[in-house]
Formats: sequence, C-alpha cells, structure tokens
Amino acid sequence: MCASINKTPRFITLSSYPAAIVHLDCDAFFTSCESARDPKLKNLPIATGRERGIVSCPSYEAKALGVGRGMRLTEAKKICPELVILASDYELYSIYSGRIFSIIRRFTPDVEEYSIDEAFCDLTGLRRLYRASYPSIARKIKETISRELGITVSAGISISKILAKLASKANKPDGFTSVPGYRLHEFLKDMPLEKVCGFGPNSVALLNKNGVRTVLDYVERPREFARKVLGKTGEELWLELRGIPVYKIVTVAKEKYLTISKTKTFSPPSGNKDFVKGQLLRNMESAFIKLRRHALAARGLTVYLRRADFSHSAAQGRLTRQSSSTLDFTALAVRIFEEIFENGVNYRSSGVILSEILDEGVDSHDLFEDPVKVEDLKNISIAVDKVNLCHGKHTLHIASSNIVKGNPSHPRNRTSWRKESLLEGESFRQRLNIPLLKNPKG
Amino acid sequence: MDRDLLKESAGKINAFYSRQRRMPSYSEMMKLFAVRSKNAVYKRVSSLTGEGLFSKDRLGRLIPAALQRPVRLLGLIQAGFPSPAEEETIDLISIDEYLISNPEATFLLKVEGDSMIDAGIRPGDLVLVQRDLIPRNGDIVVASVDGEWTLKYFEKKRDKVVLKAANKKYAVIEPRSELTVGGVVIANVRKYK
Repeated sequence: MCASINKTPRFITLSSYPAAIVHLDCDAFFTSCESARDPKLKNLPIATGRERGIVSCPSYEAKALGVGRGMRLTEAKKICPELVILASDYELYSIYSGRIFSIIRRFTPDVEEYSIDEAFCDLTGLRRLYRASYPSIARKIKETISRELGITVSAGISISKILAKLASKANKPDGFTSVPGYRLHEFLKDMPLEKVCGFGPNSVALLNKNGVRTVLDYVERPREFARKVLGKTGEELWLELRGIPVYKIVTVAKEKYLTISKTKTFSPPSGNKDFVKGQLLRNMESAFIKLRRHALAARGLTVYLRRADFSHSAAQGRLTRQSSSTLDFTALAVRIFEEIFENGVNYRSSGVILSEILDEGVDSHDLFEDPVKVEDLKNISIAVDKVNLCHGKHTLHIASSNIVKGNPSHPRNRTSWRKESLLEGESFRQRLNIPLLKNPKG
Repeated sequence: MDRDLLKESAGKINAFYSRQRRMPSYSEMMKLFAVRSKNAVYKRVSSLTGEGLFSKDRLGRLIPAALQRPVRLLGLIQAGFPSPAEEETIDLISIDEYLISNPEATFLLKVEGDSMIDAGIRPGDLVLVQRDLIPRNGDIVVASVDGEWTLKYFEKKRDKVVLKAANKKYAVIEPRSELTVGGVVIANVRKYK
C-alpha cells in the first residue's frame, strides 16, 4: 500500500446535517470570568491560581507572552513581569458555568454538561421551530452567552460529537466553525491527528508508523484498519470522524454528588510523617465542622496527598453507616494515610473529601456497633463545636493535629477578592448567588 | 403516646418517603425509629394511622395519607378541605423573581461615590444590572470608563452617546473611544438592617 500524493480528497458524505451537534468551549474560562466583572483586567496578561502557587488559567494575553498552564508562579513572573496574578474564585466560575448551561437549555433540552466550561448540545430537528439553519441557531447561542455574560466562547457545529469538538477547537478564541457533512473531506484534509480528542501521543505515533499523517488519511483507511490498529476506541473514533454518531449526548445533569472537601497547601513541603498526618487530620476536622454546620452526615472518605513535584496519590474508604462525628472517621483516615504515605517523599498539600452525604438524623445504626458509643461520639462532636464557637475554630482538636500551629500560608494569598468584599449581611461562609461587579466608582 | 415522639416519627417516615419515593417497611421503620422490635413499630404506626397521618393497606403496609408529601410539621393536621389560603400560594413570586427578569444576565454592583445622588442612588446601595438590555435615553447604565465601572444616565443625541451624572458637581462624560456598557440598572437595593 503506498500513500498517494496530491490526490483530490473524495467526499465522505454528501448530506449537510443529518444530525446537528454543537460543541461550545469557553475561552480561557477562569480569567474571562475575572475580566468580565473587572474591566481593569481587559486585555491584560492575567492568570488565576495565586492560592496554589501555580498558573491554573492564563488569559490569551498571558499565553501570548509565554505563560502556560501549570507553570509555577515564580517562573511565570520571570517570563512575564507584568502578569497580574489572582486568587481563584471558584464560586464565581460555578455561577458563570451554571448560567451558560441555562442559556443553552433555552434553545434545546439536549445539553450535555461536559465540564465546567464545555458543553455539547443537539439541535437536530429545531430548524423549523426557529426558522433558521443549524449554524445560525448555534451562532445565536454563542452570541447570547457573550451578550448576557460578557465572556466569549468558541463554537463548533458538525454531525457528531468528535467532529463538533474538533470544529470548536479549529478557531479559538471567539471562533465559530461549521462543518456540514459535504465539507468533511476538506476540513479533515490537513487536520493533524493529535487534535482529535481521543488520540494521545502513543496513538499518533502508532498511526504515523502506519503511514497515517492526517485525520483524512485515517478515515480513508478501511474500518478494519482502525479496529486492528487502535481497537474498539479506534473504530468508534473512525465512525465519529466519518460523521456516523457513536457517542450520544448525555443529557442527565451530572449527578449532583454532594461532597465537602478541604485541602491546604503547606510551605515549605514536608516529609515529616507526623506533620503531614496532622495537616490531613486538621483538614478533616474543618470538613466535619462544615458538615455539621449544614446538619449533614457523610459515609465516604477520600484522602489525598500531593507531592512536591505536583504528582499525587489518593485512596478512598467508607464506613458502614453515615456519620457526622469526626472521631468516627479518624481511624479510617489514618489507615488510608498509612497506605498512601511514602517515607522520604516531600509533600506540599493534603486533603480530604467527604462523600455519600445525607441529612443528619436519618442515620441508621450498624447492627454490630454499640449504639451508645455512636451517640457518645456524636455528643463529643457537638460539645467540641460548642467549645470552639466560644474559643475559636480548632481550639479543641484531635491530638494528632496538634502539630499544625498557626497558618503557614498567608491568608491574603488564598482569599479571593469576593470573600474580602462582603456585602452587608453576607459572611465569609455565605454570599449572594449573583456575581458582583468589581471596582465601582460613583 | 407522646405527641412529640409521634411528630418525630411522622417526620422520619416523610423523610424516608421523599428520599426513597416509597413507604418504609416495618423492619426499615425499626431502624428509622431506632427501636428493637416490630411490635414497637406496630404500636407507633397504629397511633400514626389513628391521627390520620398515614393509612394501611390490606396487608398492613403503610400508605401515605396525602400524596403531596406533607412535610411541613406545623402540627398534626386532619385531612379535610384544603384551605383556600393555601390554594393561592401558587400565584406568589419571590422577591428575587420580582426584581429579576433574566437571572442569567443579572449582576450586582455596589455603589461608591455620590454621582447619582439626585437619582436617589446613594453610596453603599446595591444596584441590580441587566446585561442584555439595549440602553435607551434616560436609562441608568453601568459603563466602563478608564477601566472602572461607573454609574451614569445614558443619553444618546443623534449618534453621540454621553454619560451624565445625577449630581451637578460632576461633568458630562463624552467617551472618546468605544463605550462599553456593562448593563442597564433595573433595581436598587438598600438594606437598612
């Protein structure tokens, strides 16, 4: 088999939109939200992530100056001294994210919340309702988001999910790309393989060895080739890329798994086992304080440790019943910790996630457990909360978390602007659910 | 049987019902009530059905008295005519719904400075701003001037837009370059307590 050169690509399909799938992808989402509420930040190189010490989202201006995601802040500042670094305000990003999905749902009920800043939606059959073509409906969604929220999104419309995602990526930021079936062969002609969501570096290398350089090369090979080289996934991608939908739009809103998590970075990183364990248990105490404040009880516990090189390990465990007592979980937390902690490794942060959360009071008792002891532990937690209410958070704590003294990282580095600008009647714990525009002047 | 205990038991059954969308079995009620025998459950269920809170089917299993989940426990209520006062609550809207017409496009701004004092907008007030409205003459808008949000009257004469303060001390702003309007003010909130 020899790769043909200068061949005119053949049509893959002659139809235009047998299905109309849209992928919407926010442009530099976190920093876009930030500059939507603060006009001072418009067109500046900015980045979020101050509280973590690394760039979590650079703006396009920052990217142009060489700032990349995941870069250490000190390094980013060196490359780009004028970089404005903000503490992340996840509350704001969640509000924006929720609003984006609500806006898309005005147009179609078939919306998939793919991630905090990405959505798929299916417009098939809506042309008559809106008296408009599929691309113009998609464009309308994109424009509504921009107009109402003040952020830009890139949109791609095509005839399968993988193609729609490829299309939205083709023109960023604020781009719009429509790829009807009869244009597929042109769109895929020079498309590098690594642009396809699903082809990792290994798949690409393997395909290159088989003489496949572009996405068009791939879809022009027979279906058997895709299956033989890359297995089931390869075959599914082959179909999707030829405009035959395999992946469905998952419309069920992502199960709102209620979880409570607490994490804290300690600087400098530490390899002291007791210290790291103490930090972990302190996080657990904080998580349980929040749990009890909302009158909830949890069953599952995830413990994670992040190493100084940013890699991490985590493990999960669960009790036989829901509980709101810190002491019920201590043994479990320590057991998980012992399992994942490695001697001689430096850690930079630890955290816990409480899951399987229910309303407190509906807790059932385990058959093999002493209900009196369970009640005792519960009463201890209530008493601890009462004492700490009078004498300050964490005054009374688990002995193992005693090693945590004071707060090593500056609170100013971690707190978002919004939590520092509370309105009358708001607290550090609860704020209004509408974004507050920043920097007002009469 | 003690009424507080009854209320509590009814509450637990209701919570179970709203969670599981079915009534609990007797063994499940043992767990719910934290009692050790089915006989204790039976006694309590009899008192509850006596109060008309639940009824039993032919096999003695619980069925909810009212399918609309009577979770409000303001007291034990007898089944009967629904109160006309309750019927009307469907037509009520919250203060949020009253103030906001497009929740996705609504933002807050805390007022600083006295430039809109003659329009009754004081420093410290919280204005609600809607982004998707096209500003018309006389609207109060939030506009971005020199990188800061500012609150002014919007006026358009032919194709020229000017921003006017509601305070004689302030000069009229004539934006030189392109004017970014962040939204139109739709309400002003001043909380006294």
